[in-house]
Amino acid sequence: MSAAADWASAAAAAPEARAGVLRALRRDPVALAASTLLALVVLTTLLAPVIAPYPGQGRGTADVAARDLAPGAAHLFGTDHLGRDMLSRVIMGSRPALGSAAAVVVLAVLIGVPLGLAAGYFGGKVDEGLMRLTDLFLSFPPLLLAMVIAALLGPSLVHAVVALAISWWPWYARLARTVAQSLRHAPFVDAARVFGVRAPAILARHVLRNALTPILVQATVDAGTVILAIGSLSFLGLGSQPPLPDWGLMVSDGRTTVLTEWWIATFPGLAIFVVALGFNLLGDALRDVLDPRSGR
Amino acid sequence: MSALLEIDDLAVDFVREGRVAARAVRGINLELATGEALGVVGETGCGKTVTGLSILRMLPATARTSGRIVFDGREVLALPEDELRDLRGRRISMVFQSPATSFNPVFPLGRQLQHVAERHLGIGRRASERLVVERLREVELPDPERTMRLYPHELSGGMLQRAMIAMAILCRPSLLIADEPTTALDVTLAEQILRLLRSLQREHGFAVFFISHDLDLVGDFCDRVAVLYAGRVVESGPAAVMLAEPRHPYTRALLSALPRRGRPGTPLEAVPGNVPTGLEEPTGCAFAPRCPLAEDRCTSAPPHLAPIGAGRSVACYRWEDA
Amino acid sequence: MLYWLGRRLLTSAVTLFGVVTVTFVLARVVPSNPAAVYIGPLARPAEIARVTKQLGLDRPLPVQYARYLRNLAEGDWGTSLATKEPVLGGIATRLPATLELIVSAMALAILLGIPLGVIAARFPARAPDVLVRVGSVFGISMPVFWLGLLLQALFSGKLGLLPATSRLSLETSVLHPIPHLTGFAIFDALVGGDWSGLRDAATHLILPALTLAAYPIGLVARMTRASMLEVLGQDYIRTARTFGLGERKIVWHLALRNAFPPTLTIIGLSFAYLLTGTFFVELVYDWPGIGQFATNALLNLDYPVIMGITLFGAIGFLSTNLLVDVLQARLDPRVRLT
Repeated sequence: MSAAADWASAAAAAPEARAGVLRALRRDPVALAASTLLALVVLTTLLAPVIAPYPGQGRGTADVAARDLAPGAAHLFGTDHLGRDMLSRVIMGSRPALGSAAAVVVLAVLIGVPLGLAAGYFGGKVDEGLMRLTDLFLSFPPLLLAMVIAALLGPSLVHAVVALAISWWPWYARLARTVAQSLRHAPFVDAARVFGVRAPAILARHVLRNALTPILVQATVDAGTVILAIGSLSFLGLGSQPPLPDWGLMVSDGRTTVLTEWWIATFPGLAIFVVALGFNLLGDALRDVLDPRSGR
Repeated sequence: MSALLEIDDLAVDFVREGRVAARAVRGINLELATGEALGVVGETGCGKTVTGLSILRMLPATARTSGRIVFDGREVLALPEDELRDLRGRRISMVFQSPATSFNPVFPLGRQLQHVAERHLGIGRRASERLVVERLREVELPDPERTMRLYPHELSGGMLQRAMIAMAILCRPSLLIADEPTTALDVTLAEQILRLLRSLQREHGFAVFFISHDLDLVGDFCDRVAVLYAGRVVESGPAAVMLAEPRHPYTRALLSALPRRGRPGTPLEAVPGNVPTGLEEPTGCAFAPRCPLAEDRCTSAPPHLAPIGAGRSVACYRWEDA
Repeated sequence: MLYWLGRRLLTSAVTLFGVVTVTFVLARVVPSNPAAVYIGPLARPAEIARVTKQLGLDRPLPVQYARYLRNLAEGDWGTSLATKEPVLGGIATRLPATLELIVSAMALAILLGIPLGVIAARFPARAPDVLVRVGSVFGISMPVFWLGLLLQALFSGKLGLLPATSRLSLETSVLHPIPHLTGFAIFDALVGGDWSGLRDAATHLILPALTLAAYPIGLVARMTRASMLEVLGQDYIRTARTFGLGERKIVWHLALRNAFPPTLTIIGLSFAYLLTGTFFVELVYDWPGIGQFATNALLNLDYPVIMGITLFGAIGFLSTNLLVDVLQARLDPRVRLT
């Protein structure tokens, strides 16, 4: 992954380089569209109870009299089997979705990056140990390990987040390790050492700063995949439990009646799709801007 | 006898976002007779490679070409794609500067030459294999039957350049464009390759369009030389005469800058100033800012390339004041 | 080469050992009540105690671990608590159905994804390129279970063209079952000359296979496109053009050969995705494969099955990686496996 090292050196360049990235992103129509989309999503998440027409139903209050209504004036997305307004549920569902996705990424980064930086910087036994460990984790087919952990811990959104973070951290460890390795003998690191700066400080101040950009890009690219993963776990019943307005859970609710009451499964799934799409597009644009070699 | 290759007023611009971003070639006039070796010399950015690529229309999509390039009576710039492709590699071929990257790493060397033979000569596998062996022998590659089964990374730079030449003479072309063929090689290898080229040329009679930045090299190898500066030809003529008595200040400066010409103990002569980039449009002679003989008329209008007898042409108002 | 292979198998074995250990620890350390699962919902404390002893669950952990490892080596992967069948047998029975899905999806990914990527690179920034890029990013952003439901609703519900669920219609499986040869319905029907059975199996396979294939098609197309774009800019492609070789030959023969390795890696990774992707597809389409087996086991905490499937998945994953690495070495003459 010399790409990471390239990003590292690119990021190590003056702040003008970073401003250049933002400017380049602003010019790319796809990046612009994706960012706008995601901004809207974030806005929805923040203002959810305000925007949702029936916030109480969004949270789970049933209204059985109004169950299984097709999309209409009163309920733009229809109602589900318990009469809850789908539009509100989808809107409110943005909170667990984005919140848990952010939590997974943050956790994975918090666990993986320090380990990776240490391994890449110190090398030797530390590095070998980490490589063995990541190899072990990465030899599980993706998602399977998370499913097993979530199932064993007991299905819930929190456990799903933990399970996913546990499966995801090796990637960030590897990424951080590559960056640290490439910078281990960089002139400015040597200089810091000569001046007596201790290793932890070097890692924290110099190496980490260079690792931020590739980590950020990776996190953006991953965010879409994580949203899909959480939705998938909840769909199977290994994640969020009712009455939480989780999109995956909602699709599962509508699964058996998809041929008749199609709206119950369609709209929440659409929400997952749209958010994942936004993150993937943005991630692509970021990658293009920062590493044009990677195939425009 | 009409020339094999005639380049008339060739101009090449590179566009970006619809507008002209750089002018690489600003009006080049060159002629090449059958079997003749023409050296096209200049510093980096003078337009020599772009000119060479234009002959085959191998410029990137951002290039806008104007002028005429007549090869064997046909106007190259107006040829339809399929006829152009027939020409490439068969009547006109090219030798590149870096043989290591010019070959496909995942195919055996011989196969790559066979592709060209099968494409242009309509022959099958067996016949093309025999032909390739023969050509590899002509370029003095040892044990051609075995060598052709090797992969590019298993061969040295010198061997690869020979193979490149073999590919270039595969279909017995009339014109071979050599783009700095020896720049990437060490001196001994370079001499060997040049000697090989010379002998092949004599034996098969093809013309050579020899692009280089090395005046000495070109003086040895070529019959005639053209010196380029900022996208224009500033002087051309028979090699020996021109290099013994240069008439353009730039040619003179280039020659005296060569280490061999200097006297031991004296500082190397350099040409003050910088080569103009393709982005600026000079009003007069492009060399005027750096020229020791520059006058007023030099900066007002650019001098044209005019014949001065004995097959020589110069683009300078003061060529007689050498 | 053999030396490399030997070393690789050894490291894989060590990794598998690690996988087994991790799964075992997870399954035991985490609170659950396997005996209760075994008996079922009507379990009473006395019975639970008896069964716990019967299953050897009261022994200390290291003893259980050693016993498990010994059994594994002998081919005994345990017994499902829920269905009471041997785990390995259960996997083997359901494997053909899942393989049908995986192989179909992989075939679609390769046969569609690669040409789409090549065409996109051949006409950059024009219609084919835009379509492929949009299509592939859609493909990798869609939740597989949602796509499955959509296709079901559209092609079965709305248009009535294809069956919504199951691998074979009730009629076929009960009245004229396909002669059993390998367990692969399509293959068996084809070989046995059972044309109505073949049609039945095929129409049932289309939607699930397409659903599962969307993500890998997107991945493969994207990577092929990116790799081709990079290769097409290389010097040796310029040489081929300079010597008059046709664009079609240059793109599909010369360039693709160079561009393939990263795509091969992606194909290998796709396989891993497909392993878990089947969980969702089989659920949505009621397809009787390993995915269903696994999903039920996860929800019921049927830990022998969970461990068995995890081990099985890891073996499949590691084997695929090994195969890809060997293929990569054969493809690139510059690489020597030592």
